[in-house]
Amino acid sequence: MTLRPLLARLRPHRTIRPTRDGWWYLGAALGLGFAAMNTGNNLLYLLVSLLLGLIVVSGILSEQSMRRLWLRGVVPEEIYAGRPVLLGARMANRKRRLPSYSIALEGGGRRLYVERLGAGEERLLSWEATFAARGRQRLPGLRVRTRFPFGLFVKAGRLVLGDEIVVFPAVRPLDAARRRRLAPGGARSLHHRGRGHDLYNLREYRAGDDPRLIHWRSTAKAGTLVVRELEAETTVDARIVLVGDGARDPGRLEKGLSEAASLAVHLTATGAAVELAGPGVHVPPGRGRAHARRLLTALAVYAPPGEATVPPRRGPAAEFEVALG
Amino acid sequence: MIPQRALSVAVNVLVADGLAALFLGGFLSLPALVLVAVAVVGSWGREALRLEQMPWLSLTLVGLGGAALVVEIVTAAPAMLDVFTHLLLYLLLIKLYTRRTPRDARDIAFLAFFMLVAVSPVTISVVFLGLFVAFLVVGTWLLMLRHLLSEADAATAPALPARPAAGLGRDLLRLSLAASAATIGVTALLFLIIPRVGQAALPLRPQATRMVSGFSERVQLGAFGEIEADTTVVMRVHLTAFTGGGGSPETLPSLRWRGVAFDHFDGRTWTVGRSTARLTLRRRQPVPFPVQAHHGGPVLTQEVYLEPIGTEMIFGAPRVLRLQGRSDFVVLDDLGNIAVPVPAARLHYTVESEPELGDPRTAGVADARLTGDARLRARYTQLPPVSPRIAALAREVTEGSADHWEAARRLSGWLSRELAYTRVLERTTALDPLDEFLFVRRAGNCEYFAAALAVMLRSLAIPARVVNGFQRGEWNPYGSYYMVRLHDAHSWVEVFVDGAGWVTLDPSPRLAAGAAATAAPASLWLDALRMSWYRYVVSFSLHDQLAAADTVRRATWTWSAAVLYPPDWREIPRPALALGVLLVVAVVAVGWHRRRHAGTAGGGGMPAFYARALRLLARRGLTLEAGETAREFAQRAGWEPPLAAVTGAYERVRFGGAALTPAEAAAVAAALDALAATGQIPRAPTQGSDDEMTTDDRQVR
Repeated sequence: MTLRPLLARLRPHRTIRPTRDGWWYLGAALGLGFAAMNTGNNLLYLLVSLLLGLIVVSGILSEQSMRRLWLRGVVPEEIYAGRPVLLGARMANRKRRLPSYSIALEGGGRRLYVERLGAGEERLLSWEATFAARGRQRLPGLRVRTRFPFGLFVKAGRLVLGDEIVVFPAVRPLDAARRRRLAPGGARSLHHRGRGHDLYNLREYRAGDDPRLIHWRSTAKAGTLVVRELEAETTVDARIVLVGDGARDPGRLEKGLSEAASLAVHLTATGAAVELAGPGVHVPPGRGRAHARRLLTALAVYAPPGEATVPPRRGPAAEFEVALG
Repeated sequence: MIPQRALSVAVNVLVADGLAALFLGGFLSLPALVLVAVAVVGSWGREALRLEQMPWLSLTLVGLGGAALVVEIVTAAPAMLDVFTHLLLYLLLIKLYTRRTPRDARDIAFLAFFMLVAVSPVTISVVFLGLFVAFLVVGTWLLMLRHLLSEADAATAPALPARPAAGLGRDLLRLSLAASAATIGVTALLFLIIPRVGQAALPLRPQATRMVSGFSERVQLGAFGEIEADTTVVMRVHLTAFTGGGGSPETLPSLRWRGVAFDHFDGRTWTVGRSTARLTLRRRQPVPFPVQAHHGGPVLTQEVYLEPIGTEMIFGAPRVLRLQGRSDFVVLDDLGNIAVPVPAARLHYTVESEPELGDPRTAGVADARLTGDARLRARYTQLPPVSPRIAALAREVTEGSADHWEAARRLSGWLSRELAYTRVLERTTALDPLDEFLFVRRAGNCEYFAAALAVMLRSLAIPARVVNGFQRGEWNPYGSYYMVRLHDAHSWVEVFVDGAGWVTLDPSPRLAAGAAATAAPASLWLDALRMSWYRYVVSFSLHDQLAAADTVRRATWTWSAAVLYPPDWREIPRPALALGVLLVVAVVAVGWHRRRHAGTAGGGGMPAFYARALRLLARRGLTLEAGETAREFAQRAGWEPPLAAVTGAYERVRFGGAALTPAEAAAVAAALDALAATGQIPRAPTQGSDDEMTTDDRQVR
């Protein structure tokens, strides 16, 4: 048996340290204790006992507040560089009867506070964060802390929400000209609703519909607002090829990866089977949102390789080259 | 109540508590207290002063305060403690007028606490206990409120959903009361176990203790007249043991507390003669001081709490054998007097005495020195020139007596029989006081009786001395001790009988003249509380700690033995047995009730009704799969109405944190019955797992 599990078991479940007020408080208790011993005055002993008693009760109440408190991290699966994202944590009090008071989630310069969490109650705490760069990153991590009940000591739980996440490259909407350029590259209708160009159906306007889709002629005829529904489109096959390795110009590399990610998102949204190829990276063709995530993940963790070749194209596909510099 | 308002209330209660403490300790006179209270009230409802915006005011306040302190220290302050309390008051008022944040409330609470600290060395009043408990309760509440307000201010983002904090006030009050109760318990425990390694030494404010006047170390005839109506309690005597004696020690006849004996009479006053030999006993270990030798009789142990009455004398039942107290030295003299030279302090000590029981001539405790020492005999028969009528009367009364003891008893009996007891001591003649008492007024108080008996005995060459002390006092049934009041001050005589030693004789018919009025039960109860305060808090010592530890150790052994060797259940007293059975039944009933209603309690975990629904479905082959939610499970099971109802209730209880209403509980019960009654629920086609979840729902404790 190794020593590590034993040490982990012995490691304190929570840490506790005095606050600034707590240090003053301890100093006062110490001074008063000295005075009590020096004079033998029992009323001073009584007051010292009160100060120490409050420390004990503080420990019990704060432990009671922290006990059986559970956290569930709420992290979006898709996080893009430079785009604000809402992170969250569900905090649940799993105690049968007793509420938890004055619980704070602290870390990364944030402090989320719950005044009271009843027995069995669950609360969502959320905050906005923006990740500047793509790649594997670790969340700043939060600790459950409480200064309850008197603000003299901080009791902290273990670090939570310190998971590793993958931040995708920044994805920007393609401009209209680019979208048009992409369309002739093998676009075809899929005969179901989508965001293509061909008409799929006409129907009554519903709240939230894009006003640009109102079909004015039909509206005039019907006497009520009628909108166009468009057919989904896709390219037959698409292949995004990363050109160059980006080793010399990091700025250009990031820009190129962002461009590739934007292309990948657009193409998969149109239903195309998209393949990614580049030096040291290859994602076989695939469709759907899960595949889009695979592409984005590959782009997110892309690092310029020393020497690598681009895998050859295997079938007919529209090829889009993205220069990494 | 709004938290800020509650905080203000708590602050003002603590301020009042601190000021009351200063008043109790004598640091504030009544006019000063009123003045400060007016200043405190003046701070209510005002907008807080912003000293940071008024530097001139800050400078003025600091300058004035500093100058006043220096002047007080240099000139007028009776002690540094007074300066300290005035500084506290000054800071308190400034804080009250500048209070804006919860942090200021905390500072005020600590200032009030230090007011209690300042008072603690100069008071032992039980009122301090009330102030202490009030501070503890309100202080706990204040610290909690202050903490919550500060934390809410410091938060960078609120929790979602933001719930109204309507219930928090009541919740917090309940919690703070519970915390106060717990703190009282823990404080009491810590108070008991913190070792008393210090010594009560220098009083920080020497003149603070009030002394009760009245008892003096000389007997001037007629002096007791002033104090015989004073009901101030000066001594409390707890009879802790009566070793070797039969019956309860409270039933001992003629119990009295001997203080000081006098050997010299100058015609008007009894004093301790200059030739009295004194011996100072010092000790290095906390062992009892030996006073007199034990002669084999029963030993009565008394624990005495003596108020400062301006005397150094130690009081105890006659024939004190040993003395145990805090002082490291005592002074003994050959009159049997014991003194501890700390007259201004309240004393707590234990004495062991060998009380006089039965015929003293058979006791065999004679002082052999006196029998053969002519000088000592002359000392105790010393008399100034007194009226020859007194000696003649003594001879007349004792004519035909077989020995000194019989003569003394005859004289004592004659005095108590023939003369009257009175507190009215007006002199009507120019005769000597005793002459007037015996032959003209024929009435007097205990001093006259004692002095007359001693003089008459001495006129017959029988050694005698007058003793001052207290009568037994009033029995307090609530605290099981004697309350000795100032009006219990008493004088009696000790006569030396060959073969019997010094024997107590009380010629005063005081008891027959009518006992003092008995105190009301409430007064007795309050005094018992005061006594407990003195006994278990003010006078608590290392010796008490050791005794308590020993008691715990013995109790532990007894319990261990009881567990290891359990008694035959038939030997257990029936009430205890019934109580035990009742307890077991109650525990089982509570457990059963909890299990039954666990589902509707709104607590964490799976409600019981949903668990039952799962069991019912499991019998039909439908089981909840790992990772499947209740809703998904219900969907898979075809959303049958009873299951849908149960699932909805489950979600409300489990995730809504709400208990079921009676109507909902009834609906759930009906749904469960329907679920139990229906046949096989058709299995719905299994749906593929949804890999399009957008949140990572990991549990990351």
